[in-house]
Amino acid sequence: MAAAAATAAAKGNGGGGGRAGAGDASGTRKKKGPGPLATAYLVIYNVVMTAGWLVIAVGLVRAYLAKGSYHSLYYSIEKPLKFFQTGALLEILHCAIGIVPSSVVLTSFQVMSRVFLIWAVTHSVKEVQSEDSVLLFVIAWTITEIIRYSFYTFSLLNHLPYLIKWARYTLFIVLYPMGVSGELLTIYAALPFVRQAGLYSISLPNKYNFSFDYHAFLILIMISYIPIFPQLYFHMIHQRRKILSHTEEHKKFE
Amino acid sequence: MKHYEVEILDAKTREKLCFLDKVEPHATIAEIKNLFTKPHPQWYPARQSLRLDPKGKSLKDEDILQKLPVGTTATLYFRDLGAQISWVTVFLTEYAGPLFIYLLFYFRVPFIYGHKYDFTSSRHTVVHLACICHSFHYVKRLLETLFVHRFSHGTMPLRNIFKNCTYYWGFAAWMAYYINHPLYTPPTYGAQQVKLALAIFVICQLGNFSIHMALRDLRPAGSKTRKIPYPTKNPFTWLFLLVSCPNYTYEVGSWIGFAIMTQCLPVALFSLVGFTQMTIWAKGKHRSYLKEFRDYPPLRMPIIPFLL
Repeated sequence: MAAAAATAAAKGNGGGGGRAGAGDASGTRKKKGPGPLATAYLVIYNVVMTAGWLVIAVGLVRAYLAKGSYHSLYYSIEKPLKFFQTGALLEILHCAIGIVPSSVVLTSFQVMSRVFLIWAVTHSVKEVQSEDSVLLFVIAWTITEIIRYSFYTFSLLNHLPYLIKWARYTLFIVLYPMGVSGELLTIYAALPFVRQAGLYSISLPNKYNFSFDYHAFLILIMISYIPIFPQLYFHMIHQRRKILSHTEEHKKFE
Repeated sequence: MKHYEVEILDAKTREKLCFLDKVEPHATIAEIKNLFTKPHPQWYPARQSLRLDPKGKSLKDEDILQKLPVGTTATLYFRDLGAQISWVTVFLTEYAGPLFIYLLFYFRVPFIYGHKYDFTSSRHTVVHLACICHSFHYVKRLLETLFVHRFSHGTMPLRNIFKNCTYYWGFAAWMAYYINHPLYTPPTYGAQQVKLALAIFVICQLGNFSIHMALRDLRPAGSKTRKIPYPTKNPFTWLFLLVSCPNYTYEVGSWIGFAIMTQCLPVALFSLVGFTQMTIWAKGKHRSYLKEFRDYPPLRMPIIPFLL
């Protein structure tokens, strides 16, 4: 779902630039966009993020080649993964100060769910770090983010190659379910260890008359994927139809 | 007397939905809505939004046809507001829930706590006091809904009742679970803390009620007039000198009192969420007052004196 939300939520991380149209996927013709300083900053931000996720991609490939197997590759990209995914929190700020036309709530939700998976699940429960499910969502996120950030970069520079737009609005068809599967399997794998260690949990009695069962909380999170994932997925399918056919028509009239 | 003709089009599709001829010039929008319902009974008046411009603001029920900027053939645009439910119904439902739900936990009805605790009673005085306070609060709200409040709007969208009830009922269950739990820990500073908290709670309940009465007296029965509220002889209303919405101020105060009394984190969280929402409402109300009344007292803040 963190994978799904990534593409669905951020309508334009600075992609409000021009006729590329993908930024204003909602159909509103708001040609305002961010000012020149904000645009420069956003271009730098998106370039850095694209580079960061490329580093992670390269790291995965090199580790695979060195080890000869695809197991436990998490450790080789743990640091850049944490750094760049956590860095995405800035995107909430971008929406809040208005240099990016997306909804703060939607972006927060998307970024926080990613950050939750990285820190509150994978980092906190060391035993799941060697699970193959981690690789599944890391690959899904990596490909998605490389495309997404380069999409924004090009949009901001008003020069969006059709290939990137196509990739952004097509590859999700496979990457979403892949990412969601990886995420769910990882959370599921973490459950017994969370229960055993009583991780992040507090029980009665205590003087604040409060209790929290992280194990139950994780189960609720998993259940929440059921209503949320289809909505995000079909939203993207809907966007795809709108945006990719729109471009076809523009091409016809050129 | 020249009659008007009114045609009503769908705001989205521009489809002609209804044509009314021989409409009296002094007919109100409310009357036109009633006429519109006849050919379209599924769109009862409360669900109709009629406007002069498809993207414009809704016309008010009290607006009079001949006072609107229209010719003798008026074109109105219709938008379906969706299923509506009366404010009174929503309030009664959302308040009855917590009253009832809390008592389920207080009496330790089976399947909540372990079976050995079924229908047992807490040995802590504060737990009984908390039940009285919580119940009193919601009984007061129900009675105010029935006898005190004068609502500006008759209805709200139906989906609100699900949203609101989830909020009120959910939090009530969450709080009640801990306060009435067999492993409940009474406040750290004992009877002193409880007494102080009770005093805060009672003062704020009286304050909140005083404000509700003062607001009621501002508006005659059946009317929707708006006036600037001012302090009355009742000292609780003197808070009007400093805030626009002292009812919300007192409400937050009541819940802070309840949180101190029970020393229960979920209660504190409920107070915080409620405070956030009421602040949003208070700011909106404050802005409306400023817009509507040129002579609005400048010292007043929306909800917290001098601060917020």
